Amino acid sequence: MDPQATIVLGKAIGAGLAMIGAAGGGIGIGISVGGAVMAMGRNPDHTATIQTNMILGVAFAEAVAIYALVVSLIILFVLS
Amino acid sequence: MNSFWNGKRRYVALLLFLAGVFVALVVPPVIPFIQLAGENLPAGYDIPFTDIRITNTLVAAVIVWVLLLLFIVYIARRRPSDGSEVPPGGFYNMFEALYEGLMGFIGGIAGGAHFRLIFNMFMTIFLIVLLSNWMSLIPGVDTVGFIHPHVKEKFDADTGEYKVITTDGFEIYQGFLGISYVNGQCDWISPADEAAADAAALAAADAAALAAQQEQLEDAAYARYQAAHVAHGDDDHADETSDDHGEDSHGEEVVEPSTTSAAYDEVLAARVAEKQARADRGCYTGVAPAPWQDGYSGDKDAKKEPIPLHPDPSSEDAKRVPWVVLPLVRVASTDLNMTLTIAIISVVMTQYIGFKALGIGYLTKFFNFGTLFKSPLGGIDVAVGLLELIGDFAKILSFSFRLLGAMFAGAILLFVMSFLVPILPWPFFILEFFVGAIQALVFALLTAIFMNLATISHHHDDDHADEH
Repeated sequence: MDPQATIVLGKAIGAGLAMIGAAGGGIGIGISVGGAVMAMGRNPDHTATIQTNMILGVAFAEAVAIYALVVSLIILFVLS
Repeated sequence: MNSFWNGKRRYVALLLFLAGVFVALVVPPVIPFIQLAGENLPAGYDIPFTDIRITNTLVAAVIVWVLLLLFIVYIARRRPSDGSEVPPGGFYNMFEALYEGLMGFIGGIAGGAHFRLIFNMFMTIFLIVLLSNWMSLIPGVDTVGFIHPHVKEKFDADTGEYKVITTDGFEIYQGFLGISYVNGQCDWISPADEAAADAAALAAADAAALAAQQEQLEDAAYARYQAAHVAHGDDDHADETSDDHGEDSHGEEVVEPSTTSAAYDEVLAARVAEKQARADRGCYTGVAPAPWQDGYSGDKDAKKEPIPLHPDPSSEDAKRVPWVVLPLVRVASTDLNMTLTIAIISVVMTQYIGFKALGIGYLTKFFNFGTLFKSPLGGIDVAVGLLELIGDFAKILSFSFRLLGAMFAGAILLFVMSFLVPILPWPFFILEFFVGAIQALVFALLTAIFMNLATISHHHDDDHADEH
């Protein structure tokens, strides 16, 4: 097999595997937004506060997915 | 301005859309070239009087600083010194509303004795990161720049191994955590300059050879003249005239420079050695024409064959070298140097405010041996303190990679969407607008939260915020 093709294959598989970590971020965002929407439904007066905290929580959950993304970006574009 | 846009001039949007379609058809989008490390600008754009190269992300960072300074000057000039009412409307009022909102927000989180310092850090980081994130939305950023040939890593058939990636004028090294740092050891010389230098070297060699031949001819003529005089005496007029005639005929003769003479080789060898030195450093010295220049062979079938690492400039291989754009300005947040710097500043300020608030006792947060022999669970406190120490270093990585990842992925998203859907990429620009704002807020807010945590004595705080 062509060595160049082997490297491309390994990079593609590795980047794909690294992105599995994004699933955790997705689950976390779903849970936090679900909880925030339920809270907003119960007391709509506090929508602004809940929304701010929800966005913060979403950003933290998203951070984990972004770490996975950084790993896969490094595999794709930096590793040689 | 308001009356211009209030619904009756929707054809402007239609015209813009049609212009987008037209431009996309006339100038088809190119496949984006993606590089994680910030690229060095070509030689000649380095810091004056030094050899320090400028990266294109540094250009963006400087633009952010200048914008921020102008912004501060503007806000300070608009602010009434006597506490009077400011006329409603305008950018100042918008900023004041934002400022007051954020002040209340941070006051709810860190409204203690150190509120001013925490809020100043929060606002500084927020504005810098916000401005540099939003730069990716400006047309021309990441797209306008220098075009240069790009040689990717190739399998070298001669040595049977892979060579380091070389792009013209740029060498890439493996650095910390496997991230490559581009180090501009080669100067980017345009194909036209390269050809001009070749022509100049040839002309100089021709001139040198010509001069050498002229000298040789004159020496020969003089030797003949001397020989004639020795043979026939000084007063032999007939011989002298014939000798003069012979010398004249030599002078009128057009002398062609010889390409085999030693002088020619000597002058040309310098140029050859110069090119060889560049090639030895891994710098590509080809004269490949750009896609719009004559001689470019862009047929797709030809591209499938591998291109040698250092193609012969006159060969067809050189014409198949891909050309990429080196942007003049690239969003500063997509460079790890920028995000790492802000992260280190944030963590150092956290330690500073901790020592300021708690004195030397702040260290017991990390080295907590006080309860080691007093309580049965003292060992756990020691372990927790060490974990806090590790966690503070992890904060640097967490801060920097979060911002870098979000903004770099956003930049790639914009590239790819502009390539796939060149006429309608704007929904993603709106997405990036929000992502930039949220990432800036998260970065600054986490700094504020950590700084507030550092001011609270370890023995009294019982609810740790989730550290991330």
